[in-house]
Amino acid sequence: MNLIEVENVSKAFTGHVALDDVSISVPEGSVYGLLGPNGAGKTTLIRIINHITAPDSGRVMFNGHQLSQDDVANMGYLPEERGLYKKMKVGEQAIFFARLKGLSKAEATRRLKEWFDRFEISGWWNKKIEELSKGMAQKVQFIVTVLHQPKLLIFDEPFSGFDPINANLLRDEILRLKEQGTTILFSTHNMASVEEICDYITLINDSHNILSGNVNDIRRKYCEGRYSLTFTGDERKLMESLLPLASQFTTADADNGRRQLNMLLSPDATLRDVISIANDTVQLASVNESLASMNDIFIKTVENYNKQH
Amino acid sequence: MASKIALIIRREFLERVNKKSFIITTLLMPLFMLALMAAPALIIAYSGSEEKSIIVVDESGMIGSNLQSDEETSFHVTDQPLDSALADTESNGVLYIPAGAVDGTQAVRLYSNGASSMSLESNITRQINSIIETERLKDYNIENLDQILDAVHSNVQIQTLRNDSDEDEEERQSSTGLSYALGFGLTFLLYMFLLIYGQMVMTSIIEEKTNRVLELVVSSVKPTQIMLGKICGIGLVAVTQIIIWGILIAGMAAFIMPAILPADISAEVTAMNAGQLDLAQSTTDTDILQAISLMGNVGYILQLFGWLILFLIGGFMLYAAIYAAIGSAVDNIQDAGQLQSVVVFPIIFGMIFGMTAAADPTSTLSF
Repeated sequence: MNLIEVENVSKAFTGHVALDDVSISVPEGSVYGLLGPNGAGKTTLIRIINHITAPDSGRVMFNGHQLSQDDVANMGYLPEERGLYKKMKVGEQAIFFARLKGLSKAEATRRLKEWFDRFEISGWWNKKIEELSKGMAQKVQFIVTVLHQPKLLIFDEPFSGFDPINANLLRDEILRLKEQGTTILFSTHNMASVEEICDYITLINDSHNILSGNVNDIRRKYCEGRYSLTFTGDERKLMESLLPLASQFTTADADNGRRQLNMLLSPDATLRDVISIANDTVQLASVNESLASMNDIFIKTVENYNKQH
Repeated sequence: MASKIALIIRREFLERVNKKSFIITTLLMPLFMLALMAAPALIIAYSGSEEKSIIVVDESGMIGSNLQSDEETSFHVTDQPLDSALADTESNGVLYIPAGAVDGTQAVRLYSNGASSMSLESNITRQINSIIETERLKDYNIENLDQILDAVHSNVQIQTLRNDSDEDEEERQSSTGLSYALGFGLTFLLYMFLLIYGQMVMTSIIEEKTNRVLELVVSSVKPTQIMLGKICGIGLVAVTQIIIWGILIAGMAAFIMPAILPADISAEVTAMNAGQLDLAQSTTDTDILQAISLMGNVGYILQLFGWLILFLIGGFMLYAAIYAAIGSAVDNIQDAGQLQSVVVFPIIFGMIFGMTAAADPTSTLSF
């Protein structure tokens, strides 16, 4: 069942079209990535789903009914440009926002204490936001977003501004929330995080939805003759012998002291040829079709689209 | 839903009331206001310049000797002709009275060394006029003229009493000058409050738009609720400030004023409040007495501030909403400036009307 159905939504601002007939379906309990170049219309789409702005045409269904103001209580929103009251103390502020979402003061305080302990920031309770660094404030903002345990979490660029350790912390929290059944929709430029945590993606470019679907399906579809071999033996010799059949070699360490060779098969070569040559040169352990990286898919799709239009 | 507005009101209110700047202005403003009231008296007390000496060349032969010297000006009649008197630049000026000045055919001339002052000129004109008047009256050869003139001169003091006040209330003293000053002062206070707090609503919206807090709040509550919460919250701050001022001023009136007033003035005030004071005998100016009497009337001050709050709430709701609209329409303070001037005009109109109404509370304009 889909928690969010965006149906043929268009939105224009003075001078430019932000979204043109965009449709997406976000399955309940999934992590859904919204990708696209800067200015493609991601944030506008997020704001429409969030009921901050209304679409010019089309509609948004939430949990089976048309999206209304009451549904925002079931959403948590982490805006791209983080905003908290600078002069307010961290704890006070978090309670304020939790109560705006309908939590009681006691319940909000209890949950906040839990989160602050988990993020190891209990000492910040009485600090003002302006005393915190940007990354620290983002942690607080994240807690404020998820505190009321909404059905749907919307993160706009959640990883920007976090150091690798905190980005990992954030990623783990997102996965933990997913396990609890929360649906998570987020926009990002961080393709590695998409491969790691997204179940579905939509690629928006120039206000259009140009690619939508399950991440693994998409990556498989775009692999286009990419294979990886694991083997023991002389990798230099292997590469030399495979050279006419394949190109773009890269190597890496694999399990059990083996090596891995990634390559792109030439259009006129077959996998059978590659295997027979490799068998003669090294001791082959496995042959796999490698999934395309989201990074390549992103660049290729956007460039193709821009060429056609 | 209502509780969310209450939450926003609470936040807006506490954020501002807890600020040091709020506490400081709230405590200091009444002092400044008192200083402002005392300022005219102080200015008069200290503005007296040094004595000016004026040489008088009198060709009429009767005006010069009758000119009265006072603290500011001393007149020295001289027999020198005008030219030699003018050669002496030590004095502050030379007053030349030609023979034809009495019958009005020739103008009196003041040759001034350095800038002359308004008060000097009006002093000279007043004196010469009155001397000529007296001289002309003498020409009619009326018997006992001096006694008659003395009897004619008067210095009337008027004490206005409200006839239409409630029966159980004492007849209230009401001085026109005082009520004008009060009306003017309160109009100005109202104007200041509308501008300052109206702008506070606007800047707070612009600020939250800039740092994106608004996005977060809008994702939780309806925009109208935020606006209502903001306007009410900031309005409450204004009301709190007025209440504190009212209490402070009433407190000063009740406890500090009696302590610092000289005994004879406070005795006269008590007498006037009791309705027993004979103004003709009083040593102090009536307006000042009435002002002091009013300042000492705690109930009246509280009532005054009560009305002020009522008007403040009404005016604030209107202007804050307009300011909020401006705040939502622009992205930064600079852009707001132009739109703001459009709003300031009606407030200034209101203030001009307010002043006219203060000058004549029963005029048709007041309604």
